[in-house]
Amino acid sequence: MIQRLLPFLTLILLFAGLTLASPYFLTPTNLASVIRQTAVINTMALGMTMIIIAGGIDLSVGSILAFSGLMGTMAMEAGLPIWQGVGIGLISGLFCGFVNGALTVKLRINPFIVTLGTLGIVRGVTLIISNGLPVHRIPQGFAFLGEGNVLGVPFVLWILLGCAGATHLILERTRLGRYTYAIGSNTDAAFYTGIPVGFHTIAVYAISGLLCGLAGMIEASRLMTGQPTAGQGYELQVIAAVVIGGGSLRGGEGSVVGTLVGAFIMGLLANGSDLLGISPYLQQAIIGSVIILAVTVDELRKRKLA
Amino acid sequence: MLLELKDIHKRFGGVAALRGAHLAVAAGEIHLLLGENGAGKSTLMKILAGMLSPDSGRIVWQGREVRFARPADAAANGIAMVHQESLLAPHLTVAENIFLGREPRLPLGFVSRRKMQEAAARLIEEHHFPLQAGWRVEKLSPAGKQLVEICRAIQHGSSLLIFDEPTASLSESETREVFGIVQRLAERNVAVIYITHRLEELRAIGHSVTILRDGETVHTGPLAELPTDRIIHLMAGRELATVYERRPLAPGEELLRVEKLTRKPAIEDISFRIRAGEIVGLAGLVGAGRTELCRALFGIDAVDGGRIFLAGREVHIRSPRDAVRAGLALIPEDRQRAGLATLLPLGQNLTAANLAAISRFGFIDRSAEQAAAARYIERLRIRAEGPRQLAGRLSGGNQQKVVIAKWLFRQARVFLFDEPTRGIDVGAKAEVFEVMDELARAGAAILMVSSEMAELISVADRILVMRQGRIAGELARPATQEAILRYATLEHAAALEEQAE
Repeated sequence: MIQRLLPFLTLILLFAGLTLASPYFLTPTNLASVIRQTAVINTMALGMTMIIIAGGIDLSVGSILAFSGLMGTMAMEAGLPIWQGVGIGLISGLFCGFVNGALTVKLRINPFIVTLGTLGIVRGVTLIISNGLPVHRIPQGFAFLGEGNVLGVPFVLWILLGCAGATHLILERTRLGRYTYAIGSNTDAAFYTGIPVGFHTIAVYAISGLLCGLAGMIEASRLMTGQPTAGQGYELQVIAAVVIGGGSLRGGEGSVVGTLVGAFIMGLLANGSDLLGISPYLQQAIIGSVIILAVTVDELRKRKLA
Repeated sequence: MLLELKDIHKRFGGVAALRGAHLAVAAGEIHLLLGENGAGKSTLMKILAGMLSPDSGRIVWQGREVRFARPADAAANGIAMVHQESLLAPHLTVAENIFLGREPRLPLGFVSRRKMQEAAARLIEEHHFPLQAGWRVEKLSPAGKQLVEICRAIQHGSSLLIFDEPTASLSESETREVFGIVQRLAERNVAVIYITHRLEELRAIGHSVTILRDGETVHTGPLAELPTDRIIHLMAGRELATVYERRPLAPGEELLRVEKLTRKPAIEDISFRIRAGEIVGLAGLVGAGRTELCRALFGIDAVDGGRIFLAGREVHIRSPRDAVRAGLALIPEDRQRAGLATLLPLGQNLTAANLAAISRFGFIDRSAEQAAAARYIERLRIRAEGPRQLAGRLSGGNQQKVVIAKWLFRQARVFLFDEPTRGIDVGAKAEVFEVMDELARAGAAILMVSSEMAELISVADRILVMRQGRIAGELARPATQEAILRYATLEHAAALEEQAE
């Protein structure tokens, strides 16, 4: 039980430690900036949680983010209203996720390979469409998505909470969620039980794609740019958040709450290092160590159970 | 004595695999190890080969007590095992596999491919094996792989070889070949322990015999003094009636009818019917096509032809989803791999096939789920802490009940049980049979695949016997092991003649 709570305790200790160590940490400005900085990774990590629970992986999330952001901003540049631009961004993400899922299911290829491929394909297409140039002519109102406040807290926090709530509800209370766990825990058994494994696998990738699309629009809004090179390397941070939060790459395990804790641990580590003047080089090594540590603790817990 | 195993005990979780097994082997002796499925033969041999460590008991090797922590320890002492399933590296060559782990070295630690190749070729030639040192193992037939395993064991200069059912996947001529090898080994003073299921093939080669039952040695001694009936009796032990006796009931209307189901080459022209309340046994040797029949019926493997009728209506089953919708249920042979999500709670396993029943407006009603789980836990007497316990932490018998409960909750009517008692304690077996009987009484049709003939005889109303993908014969109650074996092993015509007499 203690080990199950360890990620929470780590988060709380980190929070308390940073509060003591830096006078700037527990200020509304800093906390809001932590939330804004982590919102993108957090949103993507929600989708990745579902995929990892289903026993899959998606390496192309960073590319999907860039593609969606570009499509959305290009739509706005072309004169569409903001909400339609955002819609186009979301649909672009959904489409990419659907393709990932469909390729994995139909070709029966390991999702690691499929999404390694689409990582390159989607990035390439994004660069071709944009000719490598960022999109700048975006309506001012679009900045609200990433930078606005509602009831005194960043708008992205509300979005994140909404998405997290919905994902949690899907995972815990719907057939799709149940089947996600069942497929990840034992694909053969799920198939023999009459669960439409292929359909649900595709659905999970598509939902993740949708969330990447949303993350892409948030990123574009924060930068006020449709950046074709955005999101490079995000996949590793996203997977790390899920894994620190108790997700198992063997499938069948993971939770929304765990993932959020994992993502905030990484966010606080980055923020704390900045505040304390720790070099960004060392930051990377610290986060890497945390990943290994978290998974080791989790493995030890499971072995004790077995 | 070359080897003595004394009072070996071993438990896997809640299941006692061995409880007081012993045997002794002299140099140059061919010692047969017999027992039903799950009697503990393979476990005992894995302990001897250093693949498992015993909970208690002693291994005395050449007069010294030894302990093998890993297979290499046993190999260093001259004990090697030829495995039932191949443990070879498929992408390496025959020679590389034979010398795996003890490659001839050149200075600086490089492997001498030439020496390896030559030594392997010599070995193969010496035994007249149809192999070549340079062939890649993945291209070999099961028999070929078996021969490579044998080469590997011989090459290690072993003084004791363990054969774990080597002929299960071999043809007749290959079987004779293996017997020849075993005999030549014995002539060179190598001791052989030979596990088998096939009573008919053992007389030809064995000197002495040890019979295991439920993890205990029930007999050990020279083979010549032991008549075959006595062997069967010792293997089966208590008349099965003491384990379970089922009162047959009057069958109802036809629920399942299968006509000329074919999936070449595994099954051909399979036709049978099962009525409500009937338990029909499906017997046959390994490879006869029983599991393949279940898979084809359940839509896992596509069929070449044939028709399936449920309660008189033809159904087209192309996937397990179709099968489940039609009211079929499969309780697969390998629960852990294909029946259960071991990481998930028992309750979630139980409701997985019928979430619609506990959903409202698309959301799962947790309290309905808990109630359903509690109901089935009680109905099937599943011993668990509650619906939240992880399925993987239950004992084998209780895991099996969870799989059955899943289908009950789905309201399936035709149940395909593939080896329902494999890996289950004796006591739990009777409970599984009771559950099957209750299902039948509630109007289900049951097809029960089992390699344990005694179980089929006491549980099934009728027994279909498969051989080489076809139904070789049907036996009414009371069937005998001899009759089943005759159909399972002999030519069809011969069996028919016997029947006519």
